[in-house]
Amino acid sequence: MKKLYTNRLNLRLALVLFLICFFPLSTLSNSYFNTGQSSVTLLTESNQIGGEETLLVGLEFKLSPGWHTYWENPGDSGEGASIKWNLPSGFKASTILWPGPERIPVEPLMTYGYEDKALLLTEIKSPKEFSNPVKISAKINWLTCKDICIPQEGQVDMTLIKGPKVANQFTSKLKEIASTVPKNFPSPYRVSVINEKIFLQFEKEGSRNISEAYFFPSEYGLINYAADQKLEKNDNSFSLELSSAEVQLKTNTLKGVLKLKVDGIKEFYALDLPLEKNTNNPLISISLLTGIIFAFLGGIILNAMPCVFPILSIKILSFIEQSQGSKEKLFHHGLVFSAGVLTTFLTVSALLIFLRASGEAIGWGYQLQSPWVVSLLIYLFVGIGIVFMGNIVLGSSFGNFGTLVQNQKDLASSFFTGVLAVIVASPCTAPFMGPALGLALLQPGLQSIVIFLALGIGFSLPYLILSIYPQLLSKLPKPGEWMQTLKQIMAFPMWASALWLAWVLSSQVDMQSVFAVLLGALLIALGLWLLEKTQNSASILRRLTLIFSLGLMIFSIWLLPITSDNNSPNLKNEENAFSAQKLSSLRSEQRMVFLNFTADWCITCKVNEAIALDRDKVKKVLDEKNIIYLKADWTRKDPEIASMLASYGRTGVPLYLLFPSQGDPIILPELLTEDLLLDFLEEIN
Amino acid sequence: MKYLLSLLVLLFINITTASVTTDLSAPRFELLDSYGESVSLSSFKGNTVVLEWTNHDCPFVAKHYKTGNMQSTQQLANEQGVVWLTIISSAPGTQGFVLPAKANQLTSSRSAKPNHVLFDPEGGVGKMYGAKTTPHMYVIDDQGVLRYQGAIDDAGGIGFMNKNLLEANNYVKNALTEIQGGQAVSTRVSKPYGCSVKYKS
Repeated sequence: MKKLYTNRLNLRLALVLFLICFFPLSTLSNSYFNTGQSSVTLLTESNQIGGEETLLVGLEFKLSPGWHTYWENPGDSGEGASIKWNLPSGFKASTILWPGPERIPVEPLMTYGYEDKALLLTEIKSPKEFSNPVKISAKINWLTCKDICIPQEGQVDMTLIKGPKVANQFTSKLKEIASTVPKNFPSPYRVSVINEKIFLQFEKEGSRNISEAYFFPSEYGLINYAADQKLEKNDNSFSLELSSAEVQLKTNTLKGVLKLKVDGIKEFYALDLPLEKNTNNPLISISLLTGIIFAFLGGIILNAMPCVFPILSIKILSFIEQSQGSKEKLFHHGLVFSAGVLTTFLTVSALLIFLRASGEAIGWGYQLQSPWVVSLLIYLFVGIGIVFMGNIVLGSSFGNFGTLVQNQKDLASSFFTGVLAVIVASPCTAPFMGPALGLALLQPGLQSIVIFLALGIGFSLPYLILSIYPQLLSKLPKPGEWMQTLKQIMAFPMWASALWLAWVLSSQVDMQSVFAVLLGALLIALGLWLLEKTQNSASILRRLTLIFSLGLMIFSIWLLPITSDNNSPNLKNEENAFSAQKLSSLRSEQRMVFLNFTADWCITCKVNEAIALDRDKVKKVLDEKNIIYLKADWTRKDPEIASMLASYGRTGVPLYLLFPSQGDPIILPELLTEDLLLDFLEEIN
Repeated sequence: MKYLLSLLVLLFINITTASVTTDLSAPRFELLDSYGESVSLSSFKGNTVVLEWTNHDCPFVAKHYKTGNMQSTQQLANEQGVVWLTIISSAPGTQGFVLPAKANQLTSSRSAKPNHVLFDPEGGVGKMYGAKTTPHMYVIDDQGVLRYQGAIDDAGGIGFMNKNLLEANNYVKNALTEIQGGQAVSTRVSKPYGCSVKYKS
C-alpha cells in the first residue's frame, strides 16, 4: 500500500516534470532579466504561433522608482534602447513600436522617455513553414537614468510552439499598449515656418477640450526641445507654436509625435509632412559689391533726409565763409568732417555688431525704440534750434558741441559736426540703405565694416567735393546778413523734428513722462538762452550762469523716462497688427497679404504712409482685391518683428512685403508713391 | 558725444542667449585649469582650438576613452599643433565633478592629451556654448571662428554601446584635417550625443 502510494507520488512528480518541460511555464523562465537597477521581461500575446502570422511581443522594462529610460529620440541627451533579435530563419522582427513618450526635464535641458516603466513592442512575422519549437531571443542594451545614467545589457529568450494563437494573461496588456503607439493623425494638419517659429496647425473635430498639446520631434536640428510650446485654440482649429532649434540642421520634413490631452485622456499621433518650402526662411540677400554700392548711394541720399538737412545746410554756410580763406584749410575741414562722420558710423557699426553678437535683435534705428534716446534727441534738437536762433558762441569752455557758428574755425568743430550729423541722421533710413545695412548686420565681420564705410563716404562725399572745389559755391551770394537769417530759419525744421520725436515718445511712455521731457526741453532752452545773454558779461556772472545752466540741464536729464511703459494707455492694439501666428494662418488660407513694417520714429515710413499707403485709392484696391493689410509696428522693441525683418535680410524699417496667394512675397521699394504701389497691388494675384 | 552714444547703446544690453553659431566668432571665456592657472580662449588666437565637454563617469565618455577614440583624436590635434581644452561643467556634488588632482590623475591614467583641463563648476561657459551632452565637441579656427559643433563622431543613436568607435566617421578629425588643409569644414553641425551635462541646478 505504501509502495503504491510512493509510486503514485513518483507518477505525479513525473507528470509535473513533463508539464514543466513541455508547457509555457518553463519557457517563461528565461524571459526575465534583472540588472539590479532595472529588469526586463519578454512578454508575448500568445505562446503559440501559426504559419504566416504576426505575433505581438513586448519587452517590459521595470525601473527603480524615479528612474527613466529613453524614447527613440532621447531629446538633448541619452539614448533609446536597442533590441537585437535572434530568430529562426524565415522569421522577421519589426522595428520597435515606441509608445508615446513623456517629457523628462533635466534643467536646463529636455529629454524624452518613459519614467519608472516602459513596454516596447515588436511584431514578429512567421514564415509559412517552420520547425517546432520556435526559439526566439533578444539582446537588449538600454540606459537607466536618474541624474546619472547606467548602461544596461541583457538577454531574454523564449520558446514558442507551432499552433494557432491562444490568448494568455499578457494579451490584453500588450494590446492596450499597442493602442498607445502613435497612429497617423486622422484630421487635416499643416505646418508653416515663420522666422524662428514653427507653427503646427491642426483640426480636431468634436474635441474642444484639448487641455494640452506637445510635439515630440523625431529628428535633431529643427525644434528647440527645452522651449515651451504654446497652444492656441480657434473653435476646432488649433495652432501649436514651436521654437526653432538653437543649432539648426537642414530638415525638409516635420516628423515626430503629437501628444494631445483630450478630455483628460492622453492621445498620441504620428506626424510626418514636408515643411512648406516657400515660407521656409526666404533669406533674401545681395552681393557684397551691390551692398557697397547701395550703401554709398544711400549715404548720399541720406543728406537730403529731413532730420539731417538743417544741420548740413548750416555746415554749408560755414563752407561758404571758409571758402574766402585758404583752399588748403578748407580741404582740411572737409577731411576732418568726413573723419567725424566715418568714426561715428564705425563706432555705431561696431556697437551694433557687438550687440547682435550678444544676441540682441536690433538694427538700424533700434536706438529710437528706447524712450531715453528719443528724449535725449528731443533735447538735442531743441538745443540746436536755440543755437541756430541765437548768437551763442559755444567756445571751448562749453565743449565742442558740434559748433555751427560762422567764426568758428576750429578743426574739432568740423569733426564734431560730422559726429552730430550722423546722430541726427539715425532716425532716417534713405532708399538703398535697407538692404545694405541688412547685409552688414546679418553677416557681421569685415564686410559689415566695409559697408558702413561706404555709407559714411557716401554721406560725406558732397562736403568733400565742396571742400575740394569751393568754386562750386561761388554762385551763392557773398557771406553776410542773409546767412544769419537762413540759420534762424533752419531752427524751425529742428524744432519740428523735436515735435515729431515728442509724438514718437507719446507712443512709448505715458503722458506724464512726455510732459516731463517737454519741461526738460524748456529748461535746456532757458539754460542756453542764459548762456547767450551772459556771454559778454563779467566772468563771475558768466560762471554763475554757467553753473546754473548746467544745473538746469542735469535736472532735465534727470527727468528722462528710462523704460517704456507697456501699460501705457497709448499702446496701440490695432486689429490689423502683425503677428507671426496671424500671418501664418492667413498664408495657409492662401490669402494675399500686404505687410507694412513701420515705426513712429521712421520718417521714411511715415512719409510713405502719408503719400501712398493711406490713400483712399490704395485702400479701395486692397478692399477690392481682398488683400489683407497687416502692420508690424516696430516703435518699441519687438523680437518677433526683428526676426521677421532678419529673414528678409533687413535690420531696419521700412520694409514692404506683398504676398501673392502662393509663393514668395514681393519686396516693394523703400520709397513708395501712390502710382507705384497701385501698380504692384493690381498685378498681384 | 561718442561716449554718450556708446553709453546709450550699452543700456540696451541684456545677454540671455545660450548657443553659438557655426561660422561666427566663438564667445570668449576664461577658466581655471587643473594646475590652478587661468586660461583664456583669446590667448590661443593663431591656433586652432578644440573644446571637449567631459564627465569621466558618463558611460558615453567612458567608452570613448576606453576604446582610445578620444585619445586618437587628441593625438591628431597634437600633431597639428591644435590646442585641446577639456572642460568640466559638472557642478560640485554631481557626477563628473573632480578636484584638480583627480583631473590630472584621470589625464595620466587614461593617456589623454589635452593641453588644459578646465573647470566650469558654475556652468556659465557650458551654457554660453549650449553644451548639452558629454562628450560635446567644438572646433574653433585660428581666427577664433567656430567651425564645428556637435558629436565627436557619427556613432551616436540607438545601439551606441555595441558600436565599434574606431570604424565611426570622426567629425572632429575631419574638421581638423580640413582646416589644416585650408578647406571648408564639410560637416559643420551634428547632433551631440551622450549624458546630459550635470549643470548646477
